[in-house]
Amino acid sequence: MNAGLIGPIVSLVAGGLLASVSVFGLISSQTAAPSKSPANAEAPAFDYGTTTE
Amino acid sequence: MTDAGARSTARSTARSTARGLAPILWSAALAVLLLGGALGPGYVLTYDMVWVPDLAVTPDVWGVGTALPRAVPSDAVVALLDSVVPGMLLQKLVLLALLVGAGAGASALVGGRSLGVRVFASTLMVWNPFVVERLVIGHWPVLVGYAVLPWLLLVCRRWEAGSRVPAAVPVLLVLGSLSASTGVATAVALLAGGWRRGARRRAAGLVSMAVVANLPWLVAGLLHSADATSAGSGARVFAASSEGPLPGPLAALSLGGIWNAEVVPTTRLGFLSVVWLVVVGALAILGWLAQRRTAVQGWSALVVCWTVGVGLAMLSWAAPGAVGALASHIPGGGLLRDGSRLLALAAPLTVVVAARGVESLLGWTPDRATRVLVAGLLAVVPVALLPDAALGASGRLDAVDYPAAFSDARAAVQAAPDGDVVLLPFTSYRAPDWNDGRKVLDPLPRFLGRPAVVNDELYVDGRPIPGEDPRAREVGEALRLATPADRATALADIGVSVVVSEQIAGQDAPEVAGETTYAGDGLTVTEVAGDVSVRDAPVPWVVAMVVAWLAWAALLVGGAVVAARNRFRTRQ
Repeated sequence: MNAGLIGPIVSLVAGGLLASVSVFGLISSQTAAPSKSPANAEAPAFDYGTTTE
Repeated sequence: MTDAGARSTARSTARSTARGLAPILWSAALAVLLLGGALGPGYVLTYDMVWVPDLAVTPDVWGVGTALPRAVPSDAVVALLDSVVPGMLLQKLVLLALLVGAGAGASALVGGRSLGVRVFASTLMVWNPFVVERLVIGHWPVLVGYAVLPWLLLVCRRWEAGSRVPAAVPVLLVLGSLSASTGVATAVALLAGGWRRGARRRAAGLVSMAVVANLPWLVAGLLHSADATSAGSGARVFAASSEGPLPGPLAALSLGGIWNAEVVPTTRLGFLSVVWLVVVGALAILGWLAQRRTAVQGWSALVVCWTVGVGLAMLSWAAPGAVGALASHIPGGGLLRDGSRLLALAAPLTVVVAARGVESLLGWTPDRATRVLVAGLLAVVPVALLPDAALGASGRLDAVDYPAAFSDARAAVQAAPDGDVVLLPFTSYRAPDWNDGRKVLDPLPRFLGRPAVVNDELYVDGRPIPGEDPRAREVGEALRLATPADRATALADIGVSVVVSEQIAGQDAPEVAGETTYAGDGLTVTEVAGDVSVRDAPVPWVVAMVVAWLAWAALLVGGAVVAARNRFRTRQ
């Protein structure tokens, strides 16, 4: 194969892979249920934040 | 010169200008994509980011209120600037400028590498977990300091031994010290970048400049030293944290790990965070190997900054008890309790070394076409690995308008007798419907344009973290009294002349006796019944703060004047 073609082909494959990974990540992030409710109606005040622990 | 020669020179100049402008334009494009709806009409109100149409110059802004000076000097700078530029426009300019400044700074720090390398550096500096998480939590002064870091390190690198202080240094120092923690980060970068072995006078000058740039919050903090210790429990809560599959230390290495899981982009909780670490880590290893062959300029300063930033984040993760003890026993120790805030210091080395890795990769490409393709691909890798940062962190930074009732309430409060304002319910955070239910530090204290006593107790995971303001405690005690008349008398005794009540589902606002001067759209303004004992700031406090502000202003103005004069002379 012409050496000049290898670079563009590798770039295209890598670019396609990267695009697929980010689209998959984005879709799964947008469709996932939130792990915790953003606000607790029972609490006396709004939480400033939530830790992961 | 012949026509052909002149044309060639003109083409070369144009090419050089285009190459210089490209990273700036690229950074601007990334900034627009990242901010998205934040650039629309209205205000971005998210967690600690509260901008209002016209921030009033109140004692708290100058650091002589009773609350800990957490927004000194940033609020004072905003209060002065928004009398020239409307607050809405100013916020957008600041957010845009800090991102473009960070991207262009990273490109300049990487230096005369190929355009692809410099564009990659810009992307990584603008589009990373630290920037997105701090934007969503609203720490804009931290991000201003973050944008200053590459420029400060660059200026220090060019600052030759024995020569005068570059005029840009004081200006960058002041810009990079708009809050306490970012002031510490900027001071670390100045000392790491500007220090030269054996140059004692220079070292003394560096320390002096760093102190003066941070003087407003330092002096205000000393004035509040009796209350300036923070609850040790906060250190455990605010320690650097894991993100999705990445434990705390690895999250910190990938410039993430903020304590608040609510502000972490969702893609950081999945496999993309691991891919980010692997890709940027691999580039960094390549860059480190290349650096061993050809040293990067200013390498030791970059390493010192990175070590301090990552080291403190890891310390807060590994030993939150020790950081908590520091915060609860030493005034100002609470500065270190948000373990990942100083991670800004790790970004310059991460960007430089990863960009060096990109350069190595590009060096292996067989021809120019492949090089351009690979460079283009790498330039968008940071975006592709954090895709939900786009469009204002997927809409979380969308700008909103304040309800009309806020302006009416402001007018009523402005007409009230002298004294402070108290906002009810007496809690610090809100999640109003008109802000799409997004949490924000109650904007009313800033919006109303009068000194306000604010409850600085925070709730995290439903558990309270005690505040520090003794006056807030007094107000809390007054509000717990049995009758509206007793509450009004107690509030008047401690200098509160007006109460603004907001209807919030699930939260009670105790009734306070007095005359209602405004009621509408969920807001009620009540002038407190009784003789109000107005409390002025102690005179020694005012004198101390005037001296601090004058020194701070002298550093800024002095640097700006010298910079302008140097530029004028260069053009002549």
